[in-house]
Amino acid sequence: MLLTLSLVLLLLHFVTKKGGGNSVPNVWQSLVELIYDFMLNLVNEQIGGLSGNVKQKFFPCILVTFTFLLFRNLQGMIPYSFTVTSHFLITLGLLFSIFIGITIVGFQRNGLHFLSFSLPTTVPLPLAPFLVLLELIPHCFRALRSGIRLFANMMAGHSSVKILSGFTWTMLCMNDLLYFIGDLGPLFIVLALTGLELGVAILQAYVFTILICIYLNDAINLHQNSFLFIIERKRGIYA
Amino acid sequence: MIYSVMLEGAKSMGAGAATIASAGAAIGIGNVFSSSIHSVARNPSLAKQLFGYAILSFALTKLSHCVCVCVCVCVCVCVIYIYIYIYKTKYPNELKTLKFP
Repeated sequence: MLLTLSLVLLLLHFVTKKGGGNSVPNVWQSLVELIYDFMLNLVNEQIGGLSGNVKQKFFPCILVTFTFLLFRNLQGMIPYSFTVTSHFLITLGLLFSIFIGITIVGFQRNGLHFLSFSLPTTVPLPLAPFLVLLELIPHCFRALRSGIRLFANMMAGHSSVKILSGFTWTMLCMNDLLYFIGDLGPLFIVLALTGLELGVAILQAYVFTILICIYLNDAINLHQNSFLFIIERKRGIYA
Repeated sequence: MIYSVMLEGAKSMGAGAATIASAGAAIGIGNVFSSSIHSVARNPSLAKQLFGYAILSFALTKLSHCVCVCVCVCVCVCVIYIYIYIYKTKYPNELKTLKFP
């Protein structure tokens, strides 16, 4: 983890020294700008409907989360390397911190109206207490689900590649022509699985980040459209 | 730790049974991409955004397959030993072991 952290910091430092890089970007600057732009679009799109400084308030946290997950997932694809996110503690710790932060932000921004998130507008009133109480359980499980998804994807991918490559190596070491020719099957499966793993590594970072953006959106704009500034107008301030 | 041939057999059977759950995951992923093809055929001008949705849905659906693999690894590594440990602490004087010739 420390290795990846230092690599990312080195990359960002070399790109942004001398006052911000060139106007015509070279390869490394393109990479960093790609990640930055991608996250900027994501945050603008998801947490929409409010004034500009609210979106930019959450942008650094989400950018750091995405870069963290992307580089640590990709680091696991290097042979003989250590995948940090395939340990349950890391993803669960990250997720709990972020989720508690989102809940605190929701309560801070909306007061007790935050509980109205679990009650859609067209629900008859006697049903309301049961619905609010029952909604708290899926709300907590949402946090756990994202962490388990990331952990399970990484662990399952690495486990399958390891098991199949053990199979391939054993077939390769048997001194028989039939085994050598039959080795091509597991070899191609390992190749395909490694390609899939690379895709899954990038994808899981993206899915984690977009789900955090969606939860943030739910916590800040409670069920309202981005075109209705109801609560903002009621309070009279632009947060 | 107890080791016996019956134990290894039981672990293999458990792992094999746990693999059946991947069928549901495969059907789900095929469903996702089938819907993606249908939607692109209806409205090819939105192809990029629809592709983004398809990839997002694929990542979310892959969860069931990954949980299946995790359960399989759990069965092979830890469940049976936990069961034996609980059995031994519950009945410490039992001489019956799982050893078979």
